[in-house]
Amino acid sequence: MKTSGMKNKDNDKTAAANAGFGPALTEVASSPHLVESGRTTRRMMIDVLLALVPVAGAAVYFFRWPAVRQMAICLAACLAAEALFALMRRHRPPLADGSAAVTALILALSLPVTAPWYTAVIGSVAAIGVGKALFGGLGMNLFNPAMVGRAFVMISFAGALGAAGYQDPGSSIDVMTQATPLTAFQQSGVSAGLADLFLGRTNGSLGETSALACLIGGLFLCIRRSAAWRIPAAMLAAAGIIALLDTGLGVEGWTAAHHLFSGAMLFGAFFIATDPVSSPLTPLGQIIYGAGIGALVMVIRLFSGYPEGVMFAVLLMNALTPLINRWTIPTPFGGQ
Amino acid sequence: MSTPSAAQRFVRGILPENPVYRQMLGLCATLAVTNNLKSAVTMGAAVLFVLVCANLMVSLIRHWLTPHLRIVIFTLTIATFVTVADRLLAAFLYPMSKALGPYIPLIIVNCIIICRCEVCAAKQGPLTAVADALGQSLGFALALVSLAAVREILGTGMWFGFRVLPAAWPDWVIMVLPPGAFLTFGLLLGLANWISARRGGKEEA
Amino acid sequence: MNAAVMTTDTMPAKRPWRDNALFQGWLVLLLAVVFGALLAGVQTALGPTIAANKRNETLSQVPALLAPASGAAATAKLEIDTRMLPVSRGGRTAVYRVHRARRDGQLAGWVVQTAGQGYADRIEVLVGLSPEADVITGLFVLDQKETPGLGAKIATAPWRRQFVGKPAAAPLEVVKGGGAGANQIDAITGATISSRAVVAIVNRALADVSSQLAADAGKAAP
Repeated sequence: MKTSGMKNKDNDKTAAANAGFGPALTEVASSPHLVESGRTTRRMMIDVLLALVPVAGAAVYFFRWPAVRQMAICLAACLAAEALFALMRRHRPPLADGSAAVTALILALSLPVTAPWYTAVIGSVAAIGVGKALFGGLGMNLFNPAMVGRAFVMISFAGALGAAGYQDPGSSIDVMTQATPLTAFQQSGVSAGLADLFLGRTNGSLGETSALACLIGGLFLCIRRSAAWRIPAAMLAAAGIIALLDTGLGVEGWTAAHHLFSGAMLFGAFFIATDPVSSPLTPLGQIIYGAGIGALVMVIRLFSGYPEGVMFAVLLMNALTPLINRWTIPTPFGGQ
Repeated sequence: MSTPSAAQRFVRGILPENPVYRQMLGLCATLAVTNNLKSAVTMGAAVLFVLVCANLMVSLIRHWLTPHLRIVIFTLTIATFVTVADRLLAAFLYPMSKALGPYIPLIIVNCIIICRCEVCAAKQGPLTAVADALGQSLGFALALVSLAAVREILGTGMWFGFRVLPAAWPDWVIMVLPPGAFLTFGLLLGLANWISARRGGKEEA
Repeated sequence: MNAAVMTTDTMPAKRPWRDNALFQGWLVLLLAVVFGALLAGVQTALGPTIAANKRNETLSQVPALLAPASGAAATAKLEIDTRMLPVSRGGRTAVYRVHRARRDGQLAGWVVQTAGQGYADRIEVLVGLSPEADVITGLFVLDQKETPGLGAKIATAPWRRQFVGKPAAAPLEVVKGGGAGANQIDAITGATISSRAVVAIVNRALADVSSQLAADAGKAAP
């Protein structure tokens, strides 16, 4: 079913025969995906996978077997979906480039540990299918595939995922309440200690709880230049400034640092926002994009019904990426 | 180019020139009322009533129409029958009328109807015009029902409000929300394109 | 689809009278009159049914919102009369639609219609009260557009049943997770905002009308 649009693209004859009936589904203008010479998609993806090791390790340490199970389900479902959609387009499944595995891991780590198995499967299929394959595969997607999958299941199964999903213990907004089976890892309440947030001894989605693990992995990515350092830097700076304006120097024990170390802020800054396909290419563009995400996250956290906003902030800024790219094209030497 | 006959008009409206999947008309209503089958069927019936009445009326007075006033007369005719449909629903199907809210009055601006008045009813006799109206509105209803069938069963596990899937079915809430309309419509549209592309576009030549 | 196609392709030969502005003017006028008459006819024929539908939508809920009657009164027919009750408190004026229900001339209870802002859109509710207006006897959600699967659960019977038997005097409060206190309502998981909205709507309406209704009940009793 999902091949319909892509078939047209692959087969010019059919597309031509179909002309006059509007553009095919895949004819979406998307930003060019440039990779610096010497850098292959595969190497970049392996870097991301390596960087995710501490995060995944922290998840397994804190949440034990359910975390392993979650990642296994997402990996299997994403790779299967990737293979299926590639075969439907009569392509060889590009499993070796590692991009599906990265999507799978990021999706798994962004879901709460209580997520039922079917949410992981549906999320994976939505991520690869709707998020990537429908747009024409890797490099053509407008939105971060993992976040598309996550948004799909978060909206669909809000009740089932809300329990531990992106709790923001001290935010002024209601957290979703439900007794979770994770009593051992229950959040420490409103006055969550900075140290707990930093190390990850709080409730939340798998990958987001440990700020330390996210920082280690994220810095590795930036040093290896597999992630554009400007994006997380701008995002954290913007979010930090807004958090400072909001909280002053810590009203009721909830400071700007709490904002930065809680929820998916760091995980999002280093692993989600930096997706090279759906983020801008120019240095200035990357700063605008990162700052936009940081500001939107804070707006959503402070003013909306959702306790956390990284997912929606990233998706919204993804939509602006082509525009940001256009605005910030560097003037060539001698140009005006 | 010869003028299509009544039978041709009727058949074309259902699939080859389906108003939603081939002409991409009436999408506002298509996206808005298809989160359950009851609304979709009611909407389809309301459009059928309005389109048949409007086409018949326009066809009867077609010899009196001049180019510069025809749109005014089409709109007048359509608005009248839409109001009648709206009142009928409010009187006899009050819950549906409430559920569909503004989308019944909005049939007035549904392009399918003015398009059929212009393309067929203003040029051909009453019989052909009615056949055309029936074909087009059946095509529209078919599109609405196909979307609603997918959305309702995934979103609530039900069809026409009756449980079809076991109670353990996790409702895909997104499917009954607006994003689900866009996703489902996009995928079904892709499917329709794929099917017609596979047939080699023979009848499109 | 343009005028040229229309006039050259299949339209019959030009008629001079057809293009006369006066004829066209009369045509539009005539059609407007005919259609206007048609609509007037439809409205005359269907108007009462539609008005009755709107009334019944509310009134049909009233019996279920009252405390169940016992003994002989249970079989008595329910008489419902509706009036508008203006309330001004703290510089604010609100008008409530209040349905008074009687069985055999005996006051059986009150149903107050009220509305307020929910998470997504306006929520309209009916609150049933005992004859003395001191106990909530029922709650019904007439209209809501909360998120399906979450906030929309405010319309479900199990959640609404929590309100039955709660005192009308003290404001209700929303609690998360197994609230069982005298004036506590358990929030819907993941939809605290919708739950709070309904409780706030009910609280405001009760604060506004319960004393007046209690006074009316006292007057009505012989």
